[in-house]
Amino acid sequence: MKKTNAATGGKPLGLYLHIPFCVKKCAYCDFYSITDASLKADYTAALIRDIKAYGERCSGYTVDTVYIGGGTPTCLGAGYLSEILQAVGACFAIAENAEITVECNPESTDQAVLEAMHKHGVNRLSFGVQAAHDTELKRIGRIHDFAQAQAAVELARQCGFTNISLDLMYGLPDQTQAQFLDSVTQCLTLNPQHLSCYGLKLEPATPMGRENPVLPDDDTQADTYLAMCRLLCRNGFEHYEISNFAKPGFRSRHNFKYWDLSDYLGLGPGAHSFLNGRRFAFARDIRAYISGESIPQDEEEVSDFRRQGEYLMVRLRTSDGADMHDLENRYHVSTAPYEQVFCMLEKHGLAAHEGTRWYLTEQGFLVSNSIINAVVEAGE
Amino acid sequence: MKNREQIRNFSIIAHIDHGKSTLADRLLEQCKAVSVREMEEQLLDNMELERERGITIKARAVRMEYTADNGKTYEMNLIDTPGHVDFNYEVSRSLAACEGALLVVDAAQGIEAQTLGNTYLAIDAGLEVVPVINKIDLPAADAPRVKKEIEDIIGIPAEDSPEISAKMNINIHEVLERIVTDIPAPEGDADAPLRALVFDSQYDPYKGVVVYMRLLDGKICPGMKVKMMATGAEFQVLECGYMLPLGLSPQQELCAGEVGYFTASIKKVSDTRVGDTVTGVENPTPEALPGYRPARPMVFCGIYTEDGSKYPDLRDALEKLQLNDAALSFEPESSVALGFGFRCGFLGMLHMEIIQERLEREFDLDLVTTLPSVIYEVSKTDGTVQRCDNPHDYPSPDVIEEAREPYVKASIMTPQEFVGNIMPMCQDRRGIFKDMQYLDSNLVELHYEMPTGEIIYDFFDALKARTKGYASLDYEFIDYRKSDLVKVDMLLNGDQVDALSFIAHRDKAYGRARRICEKLKENIPRQLFEVPIQAAIGGKVIARETVKALRKDVLAKCYGGDITRKKKLLEKQKEGKKKMRALGTVQLPTEAFMAVLKLDEEN
Repeated sequence: MKKTNAATGGKPLGLYLHIPFCVKKCAYCDFYSITDASLKADYTAALIRDIKAYGERCSGYTVDTVYIGGGTPTCLGAGYLSEILQAVGACFAIAENAEITVECNPESTDQAVLEAMHKHGVNRLSFGVQAAHDTELKRIGRIHDFAQAQAAVELARQCGFTNISLDLMYGLPDQTQAQFLDSVTQCLTLNPQHLSCYGLKLEPATPMGRENPVLPDDDTQADTYLAMCRLLCRNGFEHYEISNFAKPGFRSRHNFKYWDLSDYLGLGPGAHSFLNGRRFAFARDIRAYISGESIPQDEEEVSDFRRQGEYLMVRLRTSDGADMHDLENRYHVSTAPYEQVFCMLEKHGLAAHEGTRWYLTEQGFLVSNSIINAVVEAGE
Repeated sequence: MKNREQIRNFSIIAHIDHGKSTLADRLLEQCKAVSVREMEEQLLDNMELERERGITIKARAVRMEYTADNGKTYEMNLIDTPGHVDFNYEVSRSLAACEGALLVVDAAQGIEAQTLGNTYLAIDAGLEVVPVINKIDLPAADAPRVKKEIEDIIGIPAEDSPEISAKMNINIHEVLERIVTDIPAPEGDADAPLRALVFDSQYDPYKGVVVYMRLLDGKICPGMKVKMMATGAEFQVLECGYMLPLGLSPQQELCAGEVGYFTASIKKVSDTRVGDTVTGVENPTPEALPGYRPARPMVFCGIYTEDGSKYPDLRDALEKLQLNDAALSFEPESSVALGFGFRCGFLGMLHMEIIQERLEREFDLDLVTTLPSVIYEVSKTDGTVQRCDNPHDYPSPDVIEEAREPYVKASIMTPQEFVGNIMPMCQDRRGIFKDMQYLDSNLVELHYEMPTGEIIYDFFDALKARTKGYASLDYEFIDYRKSDLVKVDMLLNGDQVDALSFIAHRDKAYGRARRICEKLKENIPRQLFEVPIQAAIGGKVIARETVKALRKDVLAKCYGGDITRKKKLLEKQKEGKKKMRALGTVQLPTEAFMAVLKLDEEN
């Protein structure tokens, strides 16, 4: 991928590319993807078409993060992935130090794919490991086992990747705290630079959502979460967002744009964008996307959440939290009502502050929905 | 001139589900009072709620004509009666308007207690009771056994009672013939001064109040000036006539023995009380009919709308219901927790439930109601007496000289085998046993004096549950008696929740307080911080529970850049929160309130 000197570029932009193919859908996942592999060629062409089109429109921007997610980007194979990466480099101004991430599934991350990605500038891989126990993997409909995940990560290192993130899930049906912590520990032996640990959420439109299994209760999940936080902290990770942990210097710069209200462009069915204060998304329909009928639609703004509410919502997900000065400067609002709530939260150990910067504690992260609503409400 | 000899006034007594309404429908059909096309099931129970619950709430009357086997045509007036202890008085007035009653008994289930109570009321009122064995089409039907039961328990001949199936339309003709032959024609003197018994009234938006009555003596016709003897209200009759199944049928006049209605631009049903006597302003009858009793609310509760802005709608709805229900009383009250609402008075618990349900259904209101209460009497140290049905107004202990609570005389009729189940229950509810009488070899009547407050919550239901539905209950107010009453306050996070306070006998306060605490704990969602729940008498905490702090409420997932989705999820939670009532620092969902307020003595 051709890179430019960041200093000469324009406004920074995050670029997200959605690869809506999976060998098999996982039972819990509600991201848009299909299992019909026959559309891969047409889809790659369509994506490149839009990369070109949007590349022209975004000529004032310099792309400093690229994130190829899915679906399962790696199941596209080395050839198509290379084409896409080449197109990105050709059509957008890419910052020299750009973070370029690809989501990898263990079963489809072979040497050819890894080498192709490395060759085309990919410098960060995010592996969907999810668990270190094969029974758990099977339970949630993953088609790989942990040995495959270990092998894929090893192979990635051999191919020259040095910034590797692993995804894990807690709160799986029948999963005990000990089992989950064991998964974390086993993953740590793979020496990742970054970990994303998501609690399983049952989405109604998924097989697992319909099955509606009994999940560990809230207290168990909360205890598991806090134990995980302690374990990762002991192992040198910074807890920089509700579900994300990184070794110093390895925070995900792309994901951070979501939490920082920075600009990002998402291409592909179901991909979301935030450009110049406007939010829009492509329909979750691959055929419409391929045919070019899919025009991104502006997302309906939720009236009650004003700008400052949105700012608080995303900022409070991070360990940086929300700076009251920043909030005041951005939106010209009085921060007194917010601070009042923060003080109450602090008394209960849910929030803390350094100067004017308020952030949630790990206990606070656990109940962040209630907190965000309470804080936003205070400002209304 | 109508022939009094060819009038029959009767009602139907039956246990729920024994087929009263179906039989009524069949009678109407056979008399061609309604065509099959117009036939709607349970024509008489025309309130949606009545059809659904299978109970009759308001008395209703309908006239039909029947040409008997003897060739004569009879005017048949069926006066339908409510069937619950709350409405015993209304039942007694309806029966007083009849000369006979059909006692409908299920051929499989046999006689049941609820029927017994009403049957005795009918016999006491001097009515001819004609047993009818229904549902003979059922495989389990055993007509001979049921007939014997009727003879043994009630003591009326039943050997040649009609065996019918209202559902399958079997032997309905025989029932009509028996009405003609067994039930006496009404007595009365058409030339005497007017004396008519009001057994119900209903508000019509065009005609004003329609007064349903039975003429005992005299005549009534449009233009006549009439007087309600109990309320003293006078009216000029605009219209009088018969109640036909599908509507009112105006007539020139109504005579002694007949059942009918009159209208006179009457604005409030409270002017036309059930049991009152209608007479002429000129040439009045010297003596009113016996048995009139003013409607007296026994049970009170606060009614609020879930959405505070609907308060005016609630007021309108109550006013409309009151047009038809003189026993319903209400006055405005307010609560910190619930906002503006009304303190409403009812005849009993069923009456209360019915009003609540009608408000919700017919007026589309979402209600929050407080725990029911009776009226307490408090003599204060300054010599004054305060009557109080609202815990909020209850004086503080230091100014109370003596507190009194109302007592009722409760009569429970039950097959002997259940006496052992009933007595501990009455004792537990502070009942004072008076005596027990054997009505026959099996049936007994127990007499208790009990605090009204112990009866109103769920006594009737509990009684039914412990007697397989056989026992019947009647109660009558006796007097106020000295009682060791306390007011219990509920506190959430240290703040008092006024709508949850209650007055109770000291012995009962602790148990109830503990149950309310438990119910609150079950129903209050976990909040960001721990919420203590306390029940206190004066400053002394008598029960406590704690709602643990919320541990997990987080969107762990990233959803790519789909911030809108996150916002929507949070919005949805906020919407949910809007349905909550903020009590000080605690968010309480309305359902939690409802669950606690619906608390009954059994759980």
